[in-house]
Amino acid sequence: MTTSTFVDEKPTQNLEPFKGVKKVPHEEYYTSGHRTCQGCESAQIMKLMAKAAGPRTIVLGSTGCMYVANTSYYSTPWGVPWMHTQLGSSGSAALGAAAAFRVQMRKGAMKDEPINVIAFCGDGGGADMGLGAISATMCHPDYNLLILMYDNESYANTDIQISGASPYGVNTSFSTPGKVKRIMNHRWKKNMAPLIAVGHPTVKYVSTISTSYPLQAMNSVRKALSVGGPTFIHCLNPCPKGWDFDPVLSFQLGELAVNTGIFPLYEIENGKLKMYGKSKDIVNGRFKRLPVRDYLLKQGRFAHFIEEDIEYFQSKIDETWDKWLVPGIIPLQKDVEAE
Amino acid sequence: MATLTLPVEEKKKSKINEQEALITGAEAIAIACKLANVDVVTAYPIRPYDTVMQYISQLVADGEMDCEYIVAEGEHSQFEIVKHASVCGARVFCGSSGVGWMYAMEALTVSPALRVPMVCMVGNRALDDPGAFGVEHNDALAVRDLGWLLTWVDSAQEALDTALIAYRVAEDRRIFVPLAISCDGAFLTHSQALVKIPAAELVKKFLPAYNRGDLLLHPDNVISVAPQANEDWVMEIRRQNYKVTEVACDVIREVYAEFEHTFGRKYGNPFFEEYMTEGADVVLLGMGTMSTPVKVAVRKLREEGKKVGFVRLRWFRPFAGPEIAKCLERFKAVGVIDRDFSFGSPDLSGVVATEVRSAMYSSSSTRPPVIGFIGGLGGREITVPDVETMTDIVFRAAKGKAQPLTQWFGLRE
Amino acid sequence: MGQLFAVEVVYRGVFQKTLAKNITRDIVLAAHNEGKLGISFGRYGDAPERNGIPAKSFAIVANDEQTLEEGMAQYEPKHVDLTVVLDDTLSKGAESWAWYGLQPVHHALKPGATLIVISQEDAPALLKNIHRRDKAYKLAILKGITSFSGMWVFKDDHTDVRVLGAIASALPQLFSLNSVLQFINEKLKSELKVISARNAFDRFSTVDVPAGQGNPEELFKFELPGWDHMRDGVSIKGQPQGGPYADPVTGEVGGFRPARNELFKKYSTRSMRPVVNFSTCTKCTLCGLNCPDASFDITPDGHYDANLESCCGCGICEEVCPVKECVTMVNESEFHDNKSQWEAFRKDKDAYLNWLETTIAKASPIEKRSHGFRYRGQYQEQVPEALEVARKG
Repeated sequence: MTTSTFVDEKPTQNLEPFKGVKKVPHEEYYTSGHRTCQGCESAQIMKLMAKAAGPRTIVLGSTGCMYVANTSYYSTPWGVPWMHTQLGSSGSAALGAAAAFRVQMRKGAMKDEPINVIAFCGDGGGADMGLGAISATMCHPDYNLLILMYDNESYANTDIQISGASPYGVNTSFSTPGKVKRIMNHRWKKNMAPLIAVGHPTVKYVSTISTSYPLQAMNSVRKALSVGGPTFIHCLNPCPKGWDFDPVLSFQLGELAVNTGIFPLYEIENGKLKMYGKSKDIVNGRFKRLPVRDYLLKQGRFAHFIEEDIEYFQSKIDETWDKWLVPGIIPLQKDVEAE
Repeated sequence: MATLTLPVEEKKKSKINEQEALITGAEAIAIACKLANVDVVTAYPIRPYDTVMQYISQLVADGEMDCEYIVAEGEHSQFEIVKHASVCGARVFCGSSGVGWMYAMEALTVSPALRVPMVCMVGNRALDDPGAFGVEHNDALAVRDLGWLLTWVDSAQEALDTALIAYRVAEDRRIFVPLAISCDGAFLTHSQALVKIPAAELVKKFLPAYNRGDLLLHPDNVISVAPQANEDWVMEIRRQNYKVTEVACDVIREVYAEFEHTFGRKYGNPFFEEYMTEGADVVLLGMGTMSTPVKVAVRKLREEGKKVGFVRLRWFRPFAGPEIAKCLERFKAVGVIDRDFSFGSPDLSGVVATEVRSAMYSSSSTRPPVIGFIGGLGGREITVPDVETMTDIVFRAAKGKAQPLTQWFGLRE
Repeated sequence: MGQLFAVEVVYRGVFQKTLAKNITRDIVLAAHNEGKLGISFGRYGDAPERNGIPAKSFAIVANDEQTLEEGMAQYEPKHVDLTVVLDDTLSKGAESWAWYGLQPVHHALKPGATLIVISQEDAPALLKNIHRRDKAYKLAILKGITSFSGMWVFKDDHTDVRVLGAIASALPQLFSLNSVLQFINEKLKSELKVISARNAFDRFSTVDVPAGQGNPEELFKFELPGWDHMRDGVSIKGQPQGGPYADPVTGEVGGFRPARNELFKKYSTRSMRPVVNFSTCTKCTLCGLNCPDASFDITPDGHYDANLESCCGCGICEEVCPVKECVTMVNESEFHDNKSQWEAFRKDKDAYLNWLETTIAKASPIEKRSHGFRYRGQYQEQVPEALEVARKG
């Protein structure tokens, strides 16, 4: 896998992928007692991330649901060392911790071993406020770290406001439909994983994952912690509170986001793009994308949509698959190339 | 208090190893970082502090210093990086100036409660707008209520020595809070002076390794740091940080005593320097490099038979209130020169004058009048004649003639 | 000092946020029709709310400004004249964001005052859950399907006005039925709601609950340490690692039980619980793997046993289980303890399976409760049924 890499950082360790759900270890490093919502998929990715990383790990969590709802003073679900970091600081936090371990191991002040440094951020902390720091960190090939962005498509912790990763037209506390304006959020969701991959050629591993595909999600985390250098994972996490749906649907909506082509699953390792799961089938024509309607109308946040809005949403998703240079991922028009 | 005493021959040896160099205050602090074997340094350009980072990058490039030298993408990250490095057990150095320091404000705010002993250099600079490179103390003073320790130095030698002292103080388990060393822009950061550089082996003895103990963030120590707290907890957590300031003065005294013991250089009272206060009727008080024109003026006035002295404040946080009041109540009047402003404050004074007045109010029986002077803002010169005029005003106040409580100097009318 | 009234509404976070806020607002506005003054507020400590986690909203009403001020001169009312519980599963007690430990649902209720619970159960059934207290009080049941909706789409099933009607009967000094109807006519402008409020008023009845009657369970508590006894650096100890445990029958040790947070158990968030048919379970692991609360104990024989001390009842396990009728979500109000289902199964397989069958039959949640938004148009379909249940009373 180290062929044709832009940087020649050596892999730090080899965390073998889990070979099937029955091979997943029982140990939990993120357990019960967090105050997240029923059916919180953001909490679920915390659990899977910690499980995949194992005990020789520290986790740095920037402000957001997975800070405030996760840990209440004197009460924490974390079984590995965890520390709060500021909203815009996931990049800096990971960099600082990785640097500290590296130098102390070099100077013999700390046992020399691979320690997994993971900083997580929500879409607010990652796609908005923390983007600059993440970008800077992604340019330091000599520090081993993972930044995982759990994306519930809003500032969920502050009672649901639009972020740079919120979908078009969504109802949030800052974009509530009114008597005159039905659509208050005209922004299209920020395309984070490609932004990191394309903008930072030294990054050896970028992927998108979903908690509805837990095994792939965990193995993606394990790969990210093995390849060496800074890595980035974007995880979509259905949010029963902010998206307004019965928590029992959390898992199903994660699948629908993929099957409608709204959230493609892929890895970019050493510059090689690999679609996986249903997204791969969509590209190969083995699976026909489901209409976005099936996804949108299961969520109260889109309940104000009229036909016209659903059609517009569908047309934009179609465009990402039919017109983009790399379907669903890189928003350069194919025909530009042709001219 | 365990003090370190060296065999005579070792002291001799160290005197021999002690070198002298012509360096700036910034360079002096860079050398202190090298001697302190700092692990992680983060840099970001802004005048005038950033010369320290130029020197450190050179030391790293020349293989004289082994550290992670990280150029951040902004001050906020610069301070967040060292904050986390420190929590993971690394000795760190960082710094900034003016609005750069303000850009880092969130990181500066959270560090004391997290008990992060980061040592920083603030090259004091006027706050924008307008953009201005000159010295003003409001940048560093912005963190005065947040749990930081704040010290002002007035020479390159003191800058180097204080940097070593700073690590020993900040990394004391009783303290564990961030500490900023303020150096006036230009006057100290950019002018070179002869500095004695202590021997590495002595520094090693003076400065034990940073041990974060049960607060270390490492897989072997499963803790959760800074969980969300509701009203059931926040007061208790604030009280814990108060405890630091309760013991800070004692710790600082201990460390200065050990410094003198180890390196033989005396600073006397750690919290303030008294200059020609013997038998003085009135004194001026101020921080930083204004000490040079003030001392010159004081000498001149003494020759004219005017009994004036000068008190240079070294530590602003902790503010050694009772000691300062005890010192100042000996005089008939006090003039405080502020190289800062505090818009809308009592008597529209500067920050230092306000603090001195409040210290005198609670800890002094006599409470001599305290006249505030604001001058030298944005790097403007505080001249010897200015200081002479200030002194006359303070003498008038001493004679019981009412004086305006705050006056601006060096201002075009 | 004039008359002062404090009413608290205990509700399920987010699911009933809009409903609870409406009710406490409406209380103030209805009382205002009688010239009274008041304020309405949600407890700040519960915010930001999370789905299902118990929360409170308050109305404080007085007949003059100074008296109102006396009612406002505290973080929240310590003693209330009326407690309204919007979901009967909350009668098992509430563990909120705002405190540590489990509090009885009538925690703040004045002696002799009334506790109104929206439920389809009868008083004896509810009193198996409602903790006993040393002062007598009155229990009133407002028959109806628990009203759940979410952040953006509100299910307008008249629960708010029915509560107002009930309050007019329970606490006439606060406001009369006429003031309620006047409020509905002027502000809500709905004939149907006038009828719903009047029905609730007419049908209102209470049972006296003497001191000492009710659920004998000891509530778990946590004493807050002093500042000098707390770890510094805003740090706390993390969670230990879990481990295997013993089969209650064979004593064989195996499986895995994760360490569980002792200070926030989360089960009072649950309005439905999973029941597991261990005889059809294929040990596929998916329920455990996909549980965001790590709430499944892996038994020594490899089954997945929902740990009901930490399960918050989201229902994902039912959703991901590939076996038909292996994991089923059922109405929480049917249950009176958090005992291990697997242990019951191990001790008497047949008895357990019979219990399972009858429980699923009578506690199948479909007509008992809705759990929020599933598809557009769902609420419009559900409201007539809700009104019918309410009308029958």
